[in-house]
Order: sequence, then C-alpha cells, then structure tokens
Amino acid sequence: MSKALRQSLSSVAGVVLGKEEQVRLAVACLLARGHLLIEDLPGVGKTTLAQTLARVFSLQYGRVQFTSDMLPADILGVSVYDPDNREFHLKEGPIFTQLLLADEINRTTPKTQSALLEAMEERQVTLDGVTRPLPDPFFVVATQNPVTQTGTFPLPESQLDRFLMRISLGYPAPEMERELLAGGDRREAAEQLEGVLQPQDLVKLSRAVEKVHVSADLVDYVQRILEYSRACGEFVSGLSPRAGLGLLRAARAWAVLDGRDYVIPEDVQAVLGPVCEHRLQPVAGGSALGAGQQLLEAVPVVRGS
Amino acid sequence: MARVYQVPRHAMLWMMLAVILAGLPHVITGPAWLGGLLVGAVLWRWLIHRGRLRMPRRAVRLALLGAMVGGIFYHFGTLFGPTAGVSLLVGAFALKLLELFRLRDAYVVIVLGYFVLATTFLHQRGALAALYVLVVLAVVTAALIGINQPESGGRARDHIKLAGVMLLQSLPLTVLLFLIMPRIAPLWSMEADESRARTGMSDSMAPGEVSDLSQSDELAFRVTFEDEAPPRAQRYWRGMTYTRFDGRRWRQGGLGESWRTRDLFFPGRGSPPQWWEQWRDQRARPTYTYQVVMEPSRRRWLYALAVPFSETEDVGVARDFRLLREKEIDSTFAYRVTSYPEMPRDYRLTERQRQRNLQLPAGFNPRTRARAEQWRSDAATDQAYIQRILDWLGREQFYYTLQPPELGRNTVDEFLFDTRRGFCEHYASALTFMLRAVDIPARVVAGYHGGEANPLGDHLRVRQRDAHAWVEAWLPGQGWVRFDPTAAVAPSRIEYGLDRALEEQGSQGAGGVLDNLDQLPLILQMGYLSDYVEFAWYKWVLGYDQGARLELLTDWLGKVNPVRVGLALTAGLVIIVLPLAAWILLQRRAPGLSVWQREYWRMLDLLRGEGMRVHPGVAPRDLVERVARRNPSAAEALQTWSRDYERLVYGPHPGDRAAQQRLRRERRVVRRALRRR
Amino acid sequence: MRARLRQWYARWLRRRIPPAQRVALDRRRIFIFPTGYGFLFLAIAAMLFIGGINYENNLIMAFSFLLTSLFVMAIFHTYRNLSGVVLRAGGQEPGFAGGRGSLEVVVDAGDRRWHRSLWLRWPGGHQRELSVGPGEEISTLLDLPLPRRGRVDPNRLRIHSRYPLGLLRAWSLVDLDHRCLAWPRPLPGGACPASGGSTDQGQRNADAGSDDFRGLRAYVRGDSLRLVDWKAYARGQGLNTKLFSDPVEGRRWLDWDQLPELAPEYRLQRLAWWVLELDRQNTAYGLLLPGVVLDPGQGPNHRRAILEALALYGLGEGD
Repeated sequence: MSKALRQSLSSVAGVVLGKEEQVRLAVACLLARGHLLIEDLPGVGKTTLAQTLARVFSLQYGRVQFTSDMLPADILGVSVYDPDNREFHLKEGPIFTQLLLADEINRTTPKTQSALLEAMEERQVTLDGVTRPLPDPFFVVATQNPVTQTGTFPLPESQLDRFLMRISLGYPAPEMERELLAGGDRREAAEQLEGVLQPQDLVKLSRAVEKVHVSADLVDYVQRILEYSRACGEFVSGLSPRAGLGLLRAARAWAVLDGRDYVIPEDVQAVLGPVCEHRLQPVAGGSALGAGQQLLEAVPVVRGS
Repeated sequence: MARVYQVPRHAMLWMMLAVILAGLPHVITGPAWLGGLLVGAVLWRWLIHRGRLRMPRRAVRLALLGAMVGGIFYHFGTLFGPTAGVSLLVGAFALKLLELFRLRDAYVVIVLGYFVLATTFLHQRGALAALYVLVVLAVVTAALIGINQPESGGRARDHIKLAGVMLLQSLPLTVLLFLIMPRIAPLWSMEADESRARTGMSDSMAPGEVSDLSQSDELAFRVTFEDEAPPRAQRYWRGMTYTRFDGRRWRQGGLGESWRTRDLFFPGRGSPPQWWEQWRDQRARPTYTYQVVMEPSRRRWLYALAVPFSETEDVGVARDFRLLREKEIDSTFAYRVTSYPEMPRDYRLTERQRQRNLQLPAGFNPRTRARAEQWRSDAATDQAYIQRILDWLGREQFYYTLQPPELGRNTVDEFLFDTRRGFCEHYASALTFMLRAVDIPARVVAGYHGGEANPLGDHLRVRQRDAHAWVEAWLPGQGWVRFDPTAAVAPSRIEYGLDRALEEQGSQGAGGVLDNLDQLPLILQMGYLSDYVEFAWYKWVLGYDQGARLELLTDWLGKVNPVRVGLALTAGLVIIVLPLAAWILLQRRAPGLSVWQREYWRMLDLLRGEGMRVHPGVAPRDLVERVARRNPSAAEALQTWSRDYERLVYGPHPGDRAAQQRLRRERRVVRRALRRR
Repeated sequence: MRARLRQWYARWLRRRIPPAQRVALDRRRIFIFPTGYGFLFLAIAAMLFIGGINYENNLIMAFSFLLTSLFVMAIFHTYRNLSGVVLRAGGQEPGFAGGRGSLEVVVDAGDRRWHRSLWLRWPGGHQRELSVGPGEEISTLLDLPLPRRGRVDPNRLRIHSRYPLGLLRAWSLVDLDHRCLAWPRPLPGGACPASGGSTDQGQRNADAGSDDFRGLRAYVRGDSLRLVDWKAYARGQGLNTKLFSDPVEGRRWLDWDQLPELAPEYRLQRLAWWVLELDRQNTAYGLLLPGVVLDPGQGPNHRRAILEALALYGLGEGD
C-alpha cells in the first residue's frame, strides 16, 4: 500500500513540476477526506494538479468553472418533468462526481457558493425534498483568486472552515519553469497518466489514517496551539475545536505519507499553515509572519510548565 | 475622591480568611461581640468588593471606632494591659477593612494580621494553638502575596501554595534562631496575666479537702528521672508541712512571722546558713536526680522527694526540707532536684521548733487524748507506741473513702471512735494529734504520692488525684521519720494508687464511667500520646529557657561564650540558608513535567547553552537540521536522540525506564560532540 | 559635586550593565533592597521579640524568628523573580517632539519559570505591570517623553518587582540601546510651502481632494479608511478602496526653501504641520530639503518616511 502511495505521489509530482510540498499536502488532504482550497493566480497549474490527482487515484472527475451568473442548480442539478412517466426526476448536476474541481469559486455569488459548500459538508444533495447521497469518496478541490482581485466575492469565514486545507502553488522555480516550458502541455501529460490506485484503495487508506496513533503529548501540543491562537491577541478569533480536529486528521495523513503509524510534532507543523491560515484572521497591525509560522514558533512542542 | 483600591479578586479570599482566622482566638478570650464585629466587617467589605455597598463615610467609620473602643473599655474596665490591648488591636484590625482606600491600607491590614496572630500566644500556648497559628500565618502570607500581584492573571491557589512553601523554607532558620538566640531577662516587668483560680494544695487543710481534690484528674506536675525512679511506695512528693492546729484546720506554721530569715529559709544565693551547710555535709547515697515540670499553681511551694537540693534559679530551700520559689508559679515552671532520701533529718530540735511541733489547742478531742496517754504509758518506747496506733488502725474497721461523713467539733474523736470513715487527711490529722498529745513532736505533711508512668515520654505524671497527706514525727536519735497512717488502713493506696485502694474498699472511683473508659487500651494510648506531645512541647518549646539553652549549647560547643555562639550562629546560617537559597534560585524547571518533557527541555537547554538560537516551538527533527549546519558530527548524534525521542514519546509503545536512560546517554553523546568542536 | 557624583554613577552603571539590544537579568545586573514595608515588617518582628522576652513567652519569640526567616527567604524569592528575565529592544512608535512616543520592549522568561508582577517604565514614562510565564515572551509598548526632535535616547529602562511579599524591591536599570524617533513638533499656519505645480492650486485643491477617480480595488490592510467605498460596503459588497489617479500638475513638493523667513528648526516644524495637513487631504506630496529629496507619494508609510526625514534632518544620525 505504501509503495503504491509513494508511486502515486511521484506520478503527481512528475506532472506538477517543482511542487512536491504542495502535492504532498494535496494528497494528505485527500487521505484525510478533507476538501482542498487552492488560492492562486490563474495559470500556475491549479487545474493540472486537480486533474492529476483524479487520474492517479482513478477518480471520476468533474469540473465546474464558476461565474457570477451561475445558479445553485447549475451545480447540484434540477428536477425535470418527464412527460413519459409523468413524474419529476432529478437531473444530476456536475457535483455528482468523485473529484470535483470548482474553479474560481469566489467569482460566483454567495448563494451559489453556499449551495456547493453545504453539499460538501453533508456529502449529499437535497432537491425538492429528495435527498441523494454523493459518491464515495467525494472530494472538492476549489480554486480561488487572491481576494485582492476585483470582481470577486470572498468566501465568508464560516465557509472557509469547511476546507481542510488551503494551499497556494505560486510560480515555479526558474529551472522547473524551463523544464515545464520545454516539456509541452501539462494537461496532456495528466491525461496520459495511468491510475495507480483505485478509489477503494483510497477508502482503505483513509481508514488507515484514522488508526494512526496520537499520543497524549501530541494532543497536548495541538491543544496548546489552539489555546495560544485564542489567547495571544494576534488573531480576531482563535482556532475552533473543529480546526483542531482537522489539524489532527491532516497530521495523521501526513504521518501515513511518511510511512509512520504515529504522529509526531513535525507532522502537525507541516500541515499547520495550510490547515490554520485560512481560519485565522490577523488583527490589524499584527505580526508580519504567517499565522502558521507564528503559531509554530510561539508554542513549545513540549509542555514547559 | 480617589478611586477605591480594589483588592485583587484572587487575593480577596485570603484577605477575608486572614482577618477571620487571625481574630478568632481573641474572640474566645475577649468579649464575644468582637466576633460579630469581625464577621460583620468582613461581610461589609465583601459587599463593597462586589459593588453592593459603598465604602462607609468617615463619620460612620469614626463612630464605629468609638463604639468599639467604648465597648472594650466597658468590658475590661481599662484600655491597657495585654488582654484589653489585644482586643483593641483585633477591633482596629477588623475596622481597618472598611478603610481600604489604597494599597498601603491593605499592607497595614496584613501587618496588623501578623501582629494579632502573634498575640494569640499570650493566652494559648499549646502545640495545637501553635499549629493553628502556623496555618493562619500561611493564609495571611497568601493574602500578602495576592496583593503584591495586581494583574488579573494571579490564581488564588498559587498564593497559598507559595506561602506554604516559603513558610516551610523559613522553618529551619527559625529553629536555629530559637535554639541559639540568647534569652535575656525581661527588660521591664510586665503585669502578669490575670489570675485564675487553680485547683491544688492550699496552705491549710481541713477534713474533706484533700478528698475533694482527689476528684480532679488535672495534672499537677510531671517528673523525669535521670536514672532509676524510686519505687512507687517511696514516691512521697513533699509540698508543705502543717504545724499549727486549731482543732479543725491544720495550717503552715511559723514561717509567717519570720519569713526570709536565714534560720528558716535559704534562697540558694549568697553564703549559705549554718544549718544548710550541715545538711550538705550529711548528704549520703542513694540519690535521685530528676526534673519537675510544674503546672501553674499560683503558689510558691514546689514538690520534691525528701531531702531536696536544687540549683535552679529562684529556687530556695526551707528549714523543713521543702523547696520554695521566690515568686508564685503562674506559668509552667521547670526545676531540677537531687534528693537524698536516706539522709538523716535534724538530729537536734531547737526549743522553738519543738514547741511548734507539739502545739495543740486546749479543750478538743478529750477521748483521743485519754486514749493516747493510756497507750503511751503502756508502751515502752515512742516507736512501740506509734506502732500500736498503726496496728490498731489497720485492725479495726476503718474505711478509706472519698466520701467521708461530716464531722462536728471534736473532729479527731468523732473520726476515731464514731465514724471511722475517712480519707488520708483524717488519718494524718488523727495520728499527729495522738503523737503531740504525748509530747512527741509531729507534723502533717501534704503533697502528692505516687504518679503514673507515661511509657512514651519516659516520665511520671502526677495528678491532683494523687494528692496525699501523711505524718512526720521527730524521734530522738533518728530525727524526722515519716509515718503514713493511710498505708496502715489501705496498703494498696500506697502500692498501687487511689483507684485500686478505693476498689478494694468497695467505694466508687472518682471518675465513674469515665474512669473505666480510661482503661481501654486505645484511649489509654491516646492519653499517653497527647500527654507526651504536651510534655515534649513544654520541654522543648515553652520551657526552653536560658538554662536549657546553655545546657544544649554546652553539649554542642563545649563551652559557651559570645564568640563561640556567634560562630555557631554564623555556621548554622550558612548551613541552613545556603542550600535553601540554592534550592530557590536554581530550581529551574517548572513542576509537573513528565520525565520525557524534562528530557526535551534539557536538550534545548544544552543547545542553547552552546549558543544556538532555538525557539520553543522547534520540533525534534528541526533540531537536527539546525545543528547540522554548524556541527555535522553532533547532528548525527542528535539524530539518534531525536529519532528515539520521537518514537518513545509519540509512538504507540511508550518508553520505560531503560529507554529513559538510553535517551539520557544519547544526550550525553550529543553534548560531547558539541563540546569537541 | 552632585553632577560629578551623577556622572560617576552613570559611568559605573555603564560598566556594570553595558548597553545591549538584549539583556538577560542576572546577578551583576540586579539590585535588591528592602522596601519601607520590609523595614516595618522587620520592626514588627523586633517588637515581637522584645514582647516575647518581656512576657517570657517563647512562642511569641519563635513567631518573631519565623517572621525574620520569612524575610530572609523573601530575599531569595524576590531576587529569583527578576533573575532570568530577558529584555529585548523591540519596535517603536514615534511621536512629535514635546509629546510622547513609545518604545517596544520584549520581556522574555529566559528560564522556564514564572516571573510575576514586573513593573517596567522609561524615565519620565508611565509604568506597566506584567507577568511572563515559562517559555513565554510578552512585548509591551512603554511611553516616554520626547523633549526634542531626532532619535531620542530614552535613558535606562527601569524594571522592578516586589513579588512575592512586597518586603523587598529587586530592580535593574537596563540600557537597551534603544532610540525613539521624535518628529518635529508641528507648527501650524502659514501658506503651504510647496513648489511644483502651481502653489495656489496646491492650496485651493487641498480641500477638494478631488483628483480623478480611477476605480475600485479590494481593501488591503494599510489603506486609508477614508478611501474606503463605504456606500458599497453598506450594500454588502465588501470593503473596497477607491483609487484616484494623481494629477501630474497637482504634485506638490514641500520645500525647505519656501520658508526663508523661519529659523531652521521652525522650518522643519512648519513642514511637519503641512505634511499632516496634506496627508489629511489625501494629496500626494514630496519633500525637498537641502541634500534630501523624497518623491511625492501618499499614504501612512509615505507620511512616516517624510516625517522621519524631517526628524533626522541635520542631526547627522541618518541610517
């Protein structure tokens, strides 16, 4: 299993060049059964990453490009009257897939956003009183433009909490960029990828993630991180218990990727930024360091009093 | 008006408790309304603290103060003296709570608290009282710590913890100072505590009085023998002699008219009188040396076996072989005695002594007189005569009882021929009368007999119920000889004690049910224990006077002079204070960490000590990276350590002791590698 | 004589606690002495001792010894509370000369113990009380008077603590090698000392502030709140900042040479006032001082840069 995992990791990294860290985080997010938010400028490979993930894990893949005139029905689906049977039946929207790439989610209206996010959270869709479960596994990889760009509807904090991680890809390093330019279209490369794992494997892996051992010392560390984020005064509001659970889940997945059956503080620290930063709003005039880095440096790994 | 000072919330509890607890003992000794004042002031202050009430106005405060002072004056009739003064202090202490305007006022309350607490010892001196004071001291100190930490982050239980720790740390130094600091004589004389009536022997004796005394379980004194104690039958603790008889009552005689004359009393200082020098020359073995710790009796006489010599300060000796103190014993008093029981006493009597010991009032007890004269003429010697009386007492139907019947005018006649029921004073009185009636000088001696051994403290307890009276007769060629008529009537009184004697005589004991309770092993043990604690408390704390101090210091230092004492004090200070200081200052880690957590901090300390900048959030693997940049070989060792650490602390199988030690060894390797560079 | 003594004391302190950006309080740097309350406490102990002698009461005597010992232990505890604290110079909050500025001090529990109730202040400033826990660091801004413009030496930081019993005071005087920038005190009035563009326009346009509206962009931290499109915010469209294009002809240069009638120090003060004034009107402005040119710009950072240039002008302390 871990061999297959390694192989899938390197497959993804072979397509998304020079982004090992982010690829690893994205895979960890999938293993932890969390949704992923990628925040970046257009054209840095968000779509490629999502597509590659889908290929490697042999997931059914769907993509929605969000626009400002989109309605919830465009994603969830509509009830259509079937004159032959004289009844309504549900025409499934693009959300009924295993891995949904929700592109530029902050371009659409809050109404549509919340429709998607609620479906994400509940893993089911209710239309006209009929509830239909979404496929299992089900992941959303949403992308978002930097909030400073015009014409966007930033996701409210409560919605952001539904994403386990937020990562950004950034421009590739110069040599990687050269390779990328020389190597032809990445999307094509992605489409040519063979599936390394099957969706059932992913389900099994997520079960393994849940079994990863978390010692009392580590729980203590995570708890002190939460407490510090609330007490330090650097953030408008601290991390919620849900964030803490997410942090532990992500750290477990990270440990699995590392081939360990227990979590160490490094695992927590590795996922700390992606898991926490989109949930923490710094107060005005706060430290210039990223929230993750700030927490990491300020909270002792080992209890000191 | 300035903002009212707010006692920090975390200090409030201690502040209130401090006031109530420090004031409490004084409520018991002082007027009862003082307790109401204390509680009221605390309550009032509490409501102010909660914002329910305003601070009282100046006029109100003044009125309260006036009322308090007036109340004290009304209760005691004065504002001066220790008791009234302390009550005044407690009142002011409570009222000061309503005057907390600034931090300074809070400080004043605390200082008053310390003072009030100290004055508890004016009335209460037991070990329990001291324990109580120590606990309250911790509370007062906790309040002081609380008000010194104004920010809201303080926690009440941290204060009491720190206060407790600081007090415990202070104890060794306190003990040293207590043992070594010289005891100076009082700088000015203090008015003694107001007198309270005490049970005990008085300076006169009438039939029925000693038996009354025997109903009391109260402690009279404790004795510790340095070597062997004399057998029970020989333990006659002489207190006073009665020579004057008015037909009913026996009194101390003679001393009144010529008190302090050197013929009758030697105070132990100055050149000894001739009679005492004679005694000294006649001293003969065996000897008993012992210490007596006497409960306050409000009398001057002390108890000792015959013939006593004492070198304790203030203790003198009287011509009738008794010890006397120059002033009344108003607090527990200890003295050392060496007794020579076999020593002859007064080969010769002066005419005056003789007359005094033959005195009898005319016209009393005609029947006894007649009987005495008849028997004397029948007997060949004085001894034979006395023996006949004792035999008669033993043979005839005489009863030894705590409930003797009332006697009329001729006490001895009625007792010997009619009632025949009596306690030791009846027998002693009767025998003395019969001796004097035939010109044998005799006197009643009062004191205690026996005493119960406490196996825990290796000492004897002599209680009021051991009170006894017997007879001394002067016989030519022998001097004063002790005769105990009670022994003839109830031998077990002398051999085994009062309870046994009464039992045998078919009479109920003094304590009734309680008495039987006393015999239960557990109760008995508890009794011994509490008696022992009390005794040890007295011996080492209350009674630790200049003499005891000198004795102890002589043991330690060989010789006591200011230089040596100074040196000992310095050495003690160094020995006690340095380790404590090191403990306080060098104690680095916060308590409550697991061995693993400590291990991690030790590693961080080690790296920081080598000048590396390590923030506390650094995880084990990062450490390796950081070290690798500076010192690859150390990084390798650190890698081993951090891998193991990780596995042991975060892995599913927690590490054991062996793993701990391995980690520690690995840390040492890291240290060596770091230092080698 | 007193001046000599003070000089000698300052030299001695300098040798004992040399200036440094980071100072750990240790044996050499901590002084300790009983407080008035401490002396009162000892006096009470002495009184009880005498009382114990006079009443021949060993317990009262023991009580007085216990108080004395408590005092001795308090020495170590008080010292311990201050020792191990690490002080670091942090940022600064400049102010105008004649007013107050503040300097940041970072208090760090160097060892893993509590250091409670520490009082800190700069000479002439207000004091603040704080406690640091094990492994914690707390930064605090402490104000200080700024008597003149330039980089003001705040003198030594006073840190003291009387915890736990208030019987003793442990203190240290630490030179954190810290300076607080003091801008020139604004001198109101006069005509706008601006060159470039036309002076009168500078004045006229000042109130209007109506440069060409260019568009909106999402609010980023640091944007002036005056530029936020509040109406749009009220409609729920989020925080957006209005953008204006700077009219080329409206750029103003605040010019030293435009104030020939004032003495140099007053010129700086007048310039400082106009900096504030133009900033208030959201006008772009630059600065011309002899040997110093700062391009026109806007916003709080620009204002700070300009004020700093004014503060340091001619003091030879540029950095």
